[in-house]
Amino acid sequence: MASASSLAASISPGTPADTVPRAELSEIDDSTKSPALFFLCSAILWLLVGTAFAVISSWKLHSPEFLNQWEWLTFGRARTAHLNTVVYGWAVNASFAVSLWIMARLSRSVVRHSGILMLAGAFWNIGLTVGIIGILAGDSTSVEWLEIPPYATPMLFIAYALIGGWTVVTFRFGKSEHIYVSQWYLLAAFFWFPWLYSVAQIMLIFAPARGTVQSLVNWWFAHNVLGLWLTPVGLAAVYYFLPKVLGKPIHSYYLSVLGFWSLALFYNWAGMHHLIGGPVPAWVLTAGIAASFMMVIPVVVTGINHHLTMVGSFHMLKYSPTLRFIVFGAVNYTLSSLLGSTMADRNVSEVVHFTHAIVGHSHHGLYAFFTMVMFGSIYYMLPRILRKEWPSAMLISIHFWTTAVGVIVMVIALSVVGAREGLEMNNANIPFIDVVKHTVAGLELRSYSGMLMTVGHIAFAVNFLWMLLKPRTAQNSEPTLFRQPTPDLETAAQ
Amino acid sequence: MEWFFYGFAFLMAVAITASAVFALQWASKKGQLRDFEKGAASIFDDKEPIGQPTDFFPGKAPKSPR
Repeated sequence: MASASSLAASISPGTPADTVPRAELSEIDDSTKSPALFFLCSAILWLLVGTAFAVISSWKLHSPEFLNQWEWLTFGRARTAHLNTVVYGWAVNASFAVSLWIMARLSRSVVRHSGILMLAGAFWNIGLTVGIIGILAGDSTSVEWLEIPPYATPMLFIAYALIGGWTVVTFRFGKSEHIYVSQWYLLAAFFWFPWLYSVAQIMLIFAPARGTVQSLVNWWFAHNVLGLWLTPVGLAAVYYFLPKVLGKPIHSYYLSVLGFWSLALFYNWAGMHHLIGGPVPAWVLTAGIAASFMMVIPVVVTGINHHLTMVGSFHMLKYSPTLRFIVFGAVNYTLSSLLGSTMADRNVSEVVHFTHAIVGHSHHGLYAFFTMVMFGSIYYMLPRILRKEWPSAMLISIHFWTTAVGVIVMVIALSVVGAREGLEMNNANIPFIDVVKHTVAGLELRSYSGMLMTVGHIAFAVNFLWMLLKPRTAQNSEPTLFRQPTPDLETAAQ
Repeated sequence: MEWFFYGFAFLMAVAITASAVFALQWASKKGQLRDFEKGAASIFDDKEPIGQPTDFFPGKAPKSPR
């Protein structure tokens, strides 16, 4: 394939030297356009669907009669549909888009064979649609995080294998000599997830292991979806966008590499803390707890590194939408991981296990960290893919403040109400119905905060759609955007 | 039959662990774990150099970007 420099030179031999790197970068960005847009559109559609299921199931927890005339919207199905749409619909589609874009940029390699990616995307989304309809129809497997019925999962696996294979090819044919830390994270994530998914499918659905081994496999898988797939993708995005937006290298590259390898070493073991108190061998739990505490090393290392990179640049939060989301996400990565390690302690787990605090913790990790980082990444990527500005700064602000405030309120409400619930459940003198009644105020607050976040998602979706449909004007057709975004400067430069 | 799957899962685990060890050894041999300054700067280039912020709210960039 002709490189950007040879193309530029053959079209116009007098091309200025600085046009070449710019053309190369925008050629790379351009080549990601169709697959990235496809994954982003799917991600945002699933985000809206998942939010609707979230609000429905959250509302049912304090008003059980809500929508109870339809069996396909009963709590067990609506909540499961929520989990699967936001994880496999929103989070995975968004991470496909973000990681392929980052991978192409970092490998300095244009996207080849994007048809493979489109095919994979079609498989993924059709498989997921069939799966969600199956869940609503009552075909859920009842294995947490693997509820999608077995007739839909092979399609998801094929999609994943295609995308994973493509990532390795892009990396292999890349021109960059150095592997940036984000590439370590992405390559590892794309390598780990098919392993997790195939082993869990085989040992839980197709040839189920017997007895408690099932629950061990279940939590090994469910925790690692977050730890070995979504966390590496989220951290890869933070490690790329944080320095890139600020225009300064990461504070300590050494620490970032240390963070990666310690995560690779410890995270895989940590999922067993979900079974504390369960009938599984004690040494397995102890190993899981020890690994959960060892996770403090990569988390603190990563937190310090991000913080020291930001020091001196906090004023940039005022100007950059990407930075706001990314910094919010990075801070919450540190917080939710440290809280997670604490919750793995036997004494703490005795209280919080089987309470709303765990649900709060999941939203802390999956939303306050991962989803916010994906939002930030999309705000950076899309103008470079489409070569247009975001149409409305106000909608970005609304999106940020509603989701940030919403998720903080939700996590605090669920953690407080969950801790109280746990303490009361451990006290045999308190009737169970009283324990349940005491959670209602917190659950209502969760529903309201969820509605606030829904407003943010709608603002995001509107801005996204507006951006897709908006015609490209002279002011916003430059390939590298946001350099001098004020219209007068733009016009002066032309 | 189930022992076949257990064996398969075990072999996969061994293969994944071996690949991680191989990746670390490869990275070390290829010098990926040396010269960290260069690594940190590898995401910047002439067009998006160090010292230049690259993202602003639409229409809200400082008048004279550095």
